[in-house]
This record gives sequence, C-alpha cells and structure tokens, in this order.
Amino acid sequence: MAQSPRPRSILETLGEELVRIITPVSICMLLVVILVSVLSSDSSSTVTVNSIATIAYTETTSDSTWDKFVGALLNSLVFVAVVTLVTFVLVLLFYLRCTKFLKAYMGFSAFIVLGFMGGEIALFLIEDFSVPIDCVTFLVVLFNFAVVGVLAVFMSKMPILVTQAYLVVIGMLVAYWFTLLPEWTTWVLLVAMALYDLAAVLLPVGPLRLLVELAISRDEEIPALVYEARPVVASQDPRGRVGQRRVWRERRNESESNGNVGSGLGENGSTGLGDNVTANVEFGNRNDLSLVRAEEGRVPGRGELSAPLLEHITSVQQSGQGDDVSVDSMLLEGIGLGSSGSIKLGLGDFIFYSVLVGRAAMYDFMTVYACYLAIIGGLGVTLILLALYQKALPALPVSIMLGVLFYVLTRLLLEVFVVQCSLNLIMF
Amino acid sequence: MEATDIQNPNPSPRILLPSSPPPLWPTIDGPLGLSEEESVSYARRFYKFGFALLPLLWAVNCFYFWPALRHSRSFPRIHHYVLRSAVGFAVFTALLSSWALTFGIGGERLFGHVWDELLMYNLADRIGLTGWS
Repeated sequence: MAQSPRPRSILETLGEELVRIITPVSICMLLVVILVSVLSSDSSSTVTVNSIATIAYTETTSDSTWDKFVGALLNSLVFVAVVTLVTFVLVLLFYLRCTKFLKAYMGFSAFIVLGFMGGEIALFLIEDFSVPIDCVTFLVVLFNFAVVGVLAVFMSKMPILVTQAYLVVIGMLVAYWFTLLPEWTTWVLLVAMALYDLAAVLLPVGPLRLLVELAISRDEEIPALVYEARPVVASQDPRGRVGQRRVWRERRNESESNGNVGSGLGENGSTGLGDNVTANVEFGNRNDLSLVRAEEGRVPGRGELSAPLLEHITSVQQSGQGDDVSVDSMLLEGIGLGSSGSIKLGLGDFIFYSVLVGRAAMYDFMTVYACYLAIIGGLGVTLILLALYQKALPALPVSIMLGVLFYVLTRLLLEVFVVQCSLNLIMF
Repeated sequence: MEATDIQNPNPSPRILLPSSPPPLWPTIDGPLGLSEEESVSYARRFYKFGFALLPLLWAVNCFYFWPALRHSRSFPRIHHYVLRSAVGFAVFTALLSSWALTFGIGGERLFGHVWDELLMYNLADRIGLTGWS
C-alpha cells in the first residue's frame, strides 16, 4: 500500500491561498509605510511633484477647504480621464494584436520604475542616512537590480520568489511616488479610481471589460503586470509526472508550445487532480475559475501578463530642472483565480492599497492600523464576492471605500477618544 | 508497504543527507519550474548574460537551480553552468565589496579630494538628481 500524505481539507488549502495573497499585499503596505515614515520630513509641501495628477490644480496650504476639495476633484477627473484614454488605447492595441509592442513597452516601463524611481528613492535614503557609498558601486548595484527586475517580470522562467519580490518592489516604488501628491488630491484620487474601476469593469462599455472579453474570445493573455501567488497543491505526488506537471506560467510568445496554448500544459485543478489536462481559459470551469477583477486593466485566465505601466510626468519643481521621467505606463490591476488555482492580483491593486496606507501613515500610525484592517477586510469581502458571482468584478471599490471611511472615522473620532483615554490613564 | 521514493535507492556514497531523495526537478520551484532540457538552456543563458556586469543574474542562476548545484550527479550539464555562475558571483561580490568597504572606511584619508567627488550623495547634489528633497 503506497503511503499518501494526509489529504488536506478545503479549509487549509483555501486558507493557504488567502495567506499567499494577503502576505505580499501586507508586505508592500509595510514597506511603503516604512519608506513614508523614514523619508517624510515634515509637511508635504517640501516634496511635491508635478504630474498629470496635479495638472489642474496645485494645492497650497493656504487655500480654504472648499477650494482644496474642488481642486482635488479637478485633478482626479483629469487623472481618471487620462487613465481611461490610455486603457482604451491599450484595448485598441490589443485588438490589433500589437503584443510585442506592449510587452516591450512594459519591459521598458519596468526598467524606468526600477532604475530611475528606485534610484531616486535610494538616493533619498543615502542622503538621509549619509551612507558613504561611491557612485561606481551604486551604479553597478542599481543596474543589476533594474536589469534583473526587468527580466523577472518579462520572462516567465525566473524563480517564482524573485518575480513576486520584484512585483512587490515595483508596487512599492510607484505607491511611494503617489504618496508625494498633495493630500486632498490623493484622497479624492483614490475614491475616483475606485469608482472608475467599478465603472470600467461592470459597464458593458467599460474598457476593462472589453479587454477581458477580447482576451477570452481569443484565448490570449493580456499583457499586464500581475502578481500570481504560488499555487497550492492539495495532494502532493512525490514522483510527479513530467507530462502533466502544472505549468505555473506560460508566455504566449515564449512558450515552446507556441501556437497551441493548451498542449503541453498540464493543468491541475486546485484539488490536485493529477491527470487533468484542461483546455485553455474556460470561465466557470470548476478547475479553472478565472475570476477576474480589474482596476485599470485586466488579467484573465492563466498565464502571466505583462502590463505596460502608466506613470506620470515628474519634474523637479523647485530647482526647475528638466529631468523628466515621462514614462507612461498603465498599471493593470485585477484579481482572479488562475487556472492552476492560484490567486492573481493585479499590480494596480497593490499600488492603490499601499497609497492609501502610506497616506494614512503621513498622519499617524493609528490611522495606519485602522486602514490596514479595512483594506484586508475589503480584500476578503472582494474574494468572497468573486467566488459568489464568478465573473469580472472590480477589486478596488470595497477596500478603498472601507479604507477611506476608516481613515476619516479614526482621524475625527477615534484619535480624540484614544488620546483622551491615554492622557487620563484610563487605558493604553 | 512498498518502498517509495522517499528512501534513497542510490547506494553510491555521496555527501548527502541519508534521507534526501535524488531530486526530480532541477529548479527550486519544483514541478512548477522548468523541465531539464529547458533548464540547461536557461542556465547557459543566465551564465552568459551574467558577464555583462550582472552578478545578480549569476546569483539568481544559483538560486534557481539550487537542486542542481547540490546534487551534481543528477544534472551534470546544469551543474556545469551553475557552478561557474556561483564562482563568478562570489568573485565579483568579493571584489565589489572590498572596493566599497575600502572606499567607505578609508574615506578622505586614503583618497584625498577624490573621495568627495566620488561620493554618491555629493554627486547627486551636484547633478541635482534629488533637487527637491
């Protein structure tokens, strides 16, 4: 009688899947909070960036609340409009099958994020701590970091851990950049992006929905940056079968079995049934719940997506230099269950969650805890809805709305309460 | 109870833990990673690209094919490349860190005024990379 490991209950496998997606989100948020608390000197007026998100109105501390609110609203409208436009361009390019261009663009933007933004943040840290590093070492290290990062998100044949780590780092860098925006703009922008997500995914004319449907109808992958958790194998088969192993990623342009996406691809459902060779993306299939949610992009089905990142034109305000990192990259976000049963979450979700928590960190750590719990709770609710409805659902709204609500409540009500309790030695 | 793969069927003397079976998959991802044939080509490619001043790629190579590095007899071809990558990474790291430490610890006493010019945050200030900080 062959020994077989104790079959794992569904609670364990589900729990492990959840943990595997919540961990990187938490790590990203933690890193952004650390960066924000280390690097922010005093108020936000010292570090402001000119970008698409502040093109309509530049916030100053002397404006009245209503002015700030209206200005922030204008900024967010402009930003959402730009994002919508770029998403439609992405849909068009995808429709015209310009996949190579999209992938090259994505690699390029990943390089820019890791190289330039990573370099800038590293310089901030070096200056803050006065690390006596010389430029040769710094450049070599940065170059290595950026190039290996591009390869990690580009190629599917990298260690899973390395790819996941780099995706989290990219999310962290972009999120830190977003926290440099003025305060009101950031909050209104978050809410606006949540609403945009809702519209873009659920409306029949929404760009993300079009993208998903295109991808489904063609059985292709969307080029997008997506974090894919390592799939949980319910029952381990120590011997493995070469022909039927689970392929974690397949790249349409890179996989050996090029034209035939389904061949050579042994799919194991999340129950670990060994001999299941399922076909391609089949929504609603029990083994292949490609439940996707998108923010600014969509990641359906399996496979790795490489998304072009959309960034904004930054320029140095005070010193008037023209160093523009004008990389437009669109972050595609989405959450879904890959065909191999692993949960996939788009990078945009990482970024906006981290922006929210980073902004909360700029006020106080109490808001950080509250917002963190709100976001994780929202993520859980979203996953439940995903399992319930089994169709494309937006990922951002629940978490962002809860997060903003908790931030406001904490800042206005909870903090006063806690401070007074502490001062009077009642608790804490 | 039949003997499974858990027991080591290979009686040849190896410097291995007595209970570890010969690995099936050359990559650290196990069944989620590459097959052996693909692994050879990827190991070779990582090794070659690492010469473009990319020791981190060599490190990733070693990390990725860790089973091949440890069990040299199961994957001879991969082991060939991975071993060289490991050596290359070690050498490069030693050189770079010795230079960086010399620079950092030696400071101005050792280098004179060149130290100030090579220092990263001075350079950044001069070029204005972080002009808004």
